[in-house]
Amino acid sequence: MRYENRQSPEGINVTKVNPFAQFLKLLAMAAIFVVLLVIVLQFFGGALAKRIPFKYEVQLMDNLDISLSEVEPSAEIVLYLNELAARLASEIPLSEDKQVYVHYNDESVFNAFATIGGNLLFYRGLLEKMPSENALAMVMAHEIAHINHRDPISGLGGGVASMIALSMVTGDTGFAGSLLTQAGTVTVTQFTRGMETAADTAALGAVYRLYGHVNGASSLFEIMGDVQSDNKSVPDWLERFAATHPLSNDRVEAVANTAQRNGWSTEGELTPLPDAFLDWLNIN
Amino acid sequence: MTQFVIFIVFLGCGFIFGQMAEKKHYKSIIEREQQTNHLPVIASKFPPESGSYHQQLIAGSVVVASDYFKSFTAGLINIFGGHVTPYESLLDRGRREAILRMKHEAQQINADYVFNIKLETTRIATGRLGAIEVLAYGTALIPHQNASEQQDAQQNALQA
Amino acid sequence: MLITNLEIVPNIRIIKHIGLVQGSSVRSKHVGRDIMAGLKNIFGGELQGYTELLHESRKEATERLVKQAESIGANAVLNVRYSTSSIAAGAAEIFVYGTAVQVEPINDSTLPSAE
Repeated sequence: MRYENRQSPEGINVTKVNPFAQFLKLLAMAAIFVVLLVIVLQFFGGALAKRIPFKYEVQLMDNLDISLSEVEPSAEIVLYLNELAARLASEIPLSEDKQVYVHYNDESVFNAFATIGGNLLFYRGLLEKMPSENALAMVMAHEIAHINHRDPISGLGGGVASMIALSMVTGDTGFAGSLLTQAGTVTVTQFTRGMETAADTAALGAVYRLYGHVNGASSLFEIMGDVQSDNKSVPDWLERFAATHPLSNDRVEAVANTAQRNGWSTEGELTPLPDAFLDWLNIN
Repeated sequence: MTQFVIFIVFLGCGFIFGQMAEKKHYKSIIEREQQTNHLPVIASKFPPESGSYHQQLIAGSVVVASDYFKSFTAGLINIFGGHVTPYESLLDRGRREAILRMKHEAQQINADYVFNIKLETTRIATGRLGAIEVLAYGTALIPHQNASEQQDAQQNALQA
Repeated sequence: MLITNLEIVPNIRIIKHIGLVQGSSVRSKHVGRDIMAGLKNIFGGELQGYTELLHESRKEATERLVKQAESIGANAVLNVRYSTSSIAAGAAEIFVYGTAVQVEPINDSTLPSAE
């Protein structure tokens, strides 16, 4: 018996590829796949969620029993906010099967939002900065429009569907997975920005019908733009692409354009907030 | 934003250093394989009938790690399926390196052959760490004239 | 002690098989090593710390195998096999097993003549 080692040629067990080209191709394929997946699921998940009757939404919120305002708010501010909401709801007009209720929270957060069950929440931080009732009405009408469009429930439906699908796709892929999840999240924000723009347009109409002009409607966006530009960390183009809301400056412009297109007057007398407004805000 | 920059830096480091290390490793493997080619490594459990040999168990092992670029690309391939090419070369290198280390041990004890070679691959798991251990082991056959002292020792051990 | 992964050993006659003998060693590296290995995972390359760790574990497991074999009166272990399992993050078990036998040398004259 003779024993010898014959050297086998290189590369039979290893597929020859250009690693960088392969990487770029895979990244592009994965990104397209995730974006398409999220678009489809946002669309169908959102559309399906909108078919849930509004009264189930209300029931769900009641069952969850989430307290939106931690401290007992002052009765006057809640009364005033709800009275303004009622006036705007009839101008939007809010469809008859839905209703809204405004909550007030005594925290310095500069925000307001609409959630499922027709619940709106306004923070003291936002209300303190209000220059006029017109500005407040614009924000309020914007949130009511979200309720009218069923945006909270459809965002929840589409969001849950796409997040589950994303975690299934990217579950076992380590670093690549977290990056693709980011891509999916950015895709979701394209949908939420569409909702924001639609709500702005509907809100402006309601403000016009209530006051006869749209003066002051965009003043809060101007304030927001100033606050944001003071502590800016990302360039405009990136924020335009990745943020959940349109840029404040873009919203100011959009308001002006919508007004011009519809022939709504931007001149008119501002309605001041009630004299005791700031006193109502401070509970103590 | 910071996360993104860190990610790009890791990916770049993984690509540049990982590819460099792989090229270098392959070069060294091919060179050493040619140098040790005269020592047959045989996957048979029947030793040659002729000749008189002393037997000794020898082994060679290596733990090789994947780099960030390889792990990331493998993660992407996982979505679509197919050849996980970044790991193919990693495993290939690991196996050949382990065999070479075993052969190095065989040469040091002046073996003529290595018989019944077995290869074993294990994933070493430390969190997200992608590393494998390859073990190559077999029986070195050392001719008696080279190992007469060892042979004597073995005889003594058997008689004791 | 003769340790081999062959089953046939020329020049030696097996008198008795006396059972399965095993050696095992479970070890892990300290956290510092694990962190270094994590860094290495960016750049790729050999994890020398782990190579050494497993090498030492294997040595220890083999020593334990020999100890078992000696204690039951064997003077050789044939058909030895290794197996490695990573049982938890950063810990690996090395297991080695084989057949313990009693052997005696055959005189060269009794061997079949070589061609």
